[in-house]
Amino acid sequence: MGLTNHFPALILAILLGISFLSPILFRWVRKASAPALLLSLFLALVMAVYLLIQTTQVGEFSYYMGGWPPPWGIELKINLIRAYMLIVVLAVSLWIMVYALKDLEHELKTDVLGWYYTLYALVVASMAGMALTNDLFNLFVLMEICAISACAIISIKEDRACLEASFKYLILSAMGTGCFLLGVAMVYMVTGHMNYDLVNEYLPVAVEQYPNNMFAASALFIVAFGTKAALFPLHVWLPDAHASAPSPSSAMLSGLVIKIYAFGLFIVFYQIFPRSLLDSIPLNEIILWLSSMGIMFGSIFAMVQVDLKKMLAYSSIGQIGYVFLGIGLDDTIAMTGGFYHLLVHAIMKSMLFMCAGVIIYTTGIRQIKQLGGIGQVLPITMIAFTIGSASMIGIPGTGGLISKWYLALGALEIGRPIFVVIILASSLLNAIYYMPIIVNAFMQQEEFAYEVKAVPRQMLIPLIIGMIAIVFLGVFSRPVIVLLENGLQLFF
Amino acid sequence: MLIKIAHNYYYMVAILLFIIGMHTMLTHSNLIKKVIAMNIMDTAVFLLFVAVGYTYGGAAPIVTAPANEVLYVNPLPGSLMLTGIVVAVSITAYALSLIVKIYRFYGTVDYDEICLIRSQE
Repeated sequence: MGLTNHFPALILAILLGISFLSPILFRWVRKASAPALLLSLFLALVMAVYLLIQTTQVGEFSYYMGGWPPPWGIELKINLIRAYMLIVVLAVSLWIMVYALKDLEHELKTDVLGWYYTLYALVVASMAGMALTNDLFNLFVLMEICAISACAIISIKEDRACLEASFKYLILSAMGTGCFLLGVAMVYMVTGHMNYDLVNEYLPVAVEQYPNNMFAASALFIVAFGTKAALFPLHVWLPDAHASAPSPSSAMLSGLVIKIYAFGLFIVFYQIFPRSLLDSIPLNEIILWLSSMGIMFGSIFAMVQVDLKKMLAYSSIGQIGYVFLGIGLDDTIAMTGGFYHLLVHAIMKSMLFMCAGVIIYTTGIRQIKQLGGIGQVLPITMIAFTIGSASMIGIPGTGGLISKWYLALGALEIGRPIFVVIILASSLLNAIYYMPIIVNAFMQQEEFAYEVKAVPRQMLIPLIIGMIAIVFLGVFSRPVIVLLENGLQLFF
Repeated sequence: MLIKIAHNYYYMVAILLFIIGMHTMLTHSNLIKKVIAMNIMDTAVFLLFVAVGYTYGGAAPIVTAPANEVLYVNPLPGSLMLTGIVVAVSITAYALSLIVKIYRFYGTVDYDEICLIRSQE
């Protein structure tokens, strides 16, 4: 045994360790720095898989940092849902990094590459920590690490648009974490604990004694996680930030960073808040309507965009709405759909941003209307784009259908057919803005008008893996669905 | 009601500061002012936390002898807020360095003027 007991902490230690090492490695052993990052991400992924297997066997278990049990120490907790989040975060970030190695050479100055690896490892470490931690203040610290390093992987490009976008992102993130910390203070005032389970134990009494305090705290939590995850009216920072960033950063931010905050809101609602609080204030109702508006307006805004990456960014606002819809519907089936969408969207949106990255790398084009006929010169990239778009729309055989199917089933089960209408309408809207690009790319008669560089193999392989993953998730969805259903039972 | 509020005035002050900070941060166009407001907002939360940990008539929580009857101030919020201050400092540093870069591009730190410059291009 020995070492395997410490895997939850080791995952974080390895990722944080490599973030310190990579600038040094980059300086002295330049060739080793990128493989070292890939290796550490891979090791962390292996450990996460081990944790998943362990938790299927023994159920929920905890790890005490430094051997101090709560209420004194920080507790890391592993159950099916957390292990699932951990694997999604680590697997997708490993996959993006493989792509990034080639793309970054093109988008960044060579001497900042080592620092980029540092920031990347920090983002991944903080997200893995958020998936594992069982302590509110620890969550706050990890959120701040994630906020700073996520802003920094945008601003590292150092052109005007990136700097402005990351400043806007930073200010709104700081507002989000400020609200979160105030909410934590409100909870701490009435319970005297930071550990999720202990807070959950004392809250039912506290809610009766100090209802106003908890109303304020829940409002602050919704604002905090809503800002960070780009829930509809709080999404203003997202389009600029995700569109101007280097393509690997966009893939990372759109694919994972906004998801982990949706997961944070899920944990706050279903692990920390007692059932009586969720029943007495219509928190889920607020989330439901905001996410529905996000789903509709995100797609409508995406339709009018002329820049490819900006369109993908607006589409993210719509797609994160599905995850929130799953959380808000408060039903195991719908929530399974929401969490499945979290995985599927992480893969397909990252892949679409990679496709955009390949297009920018080979041709330098960002405008949608210039893409006519590009299917002839970049066939594999555009097929990947087609499969990603098909999954966004929810065409059978792709992962996107499964998540929408479960969301719709869940909405019907609790008797809210209006949300099925919203899901269907948004699929139609998705088709309206994705289809013209594909049709233009393949069907246009004229030759593609711009110069094209050869696509490096290192960029194509991740795209092919992504295509396979999306189709696989669309055809063999059963294992993941069963895992999620079992995992979510713990919260109901 | 009023007596209750007067008794817990430090909570009110903290919330007031928080609102001032948040309002300034979201409405002022000067980027430096935004950063200052962000600090005010964070400080408000730190004050609230430290106030939560205070016990009337409590001693400093340094346990030297097995003194059973002595009332201590809760040390946890204070130590947590040290971490919070570190986080706030690093965010401030990063935001200021971004402002320096933005100033090099535009020659101004006012967001409205930046928008004006961009629209003229």
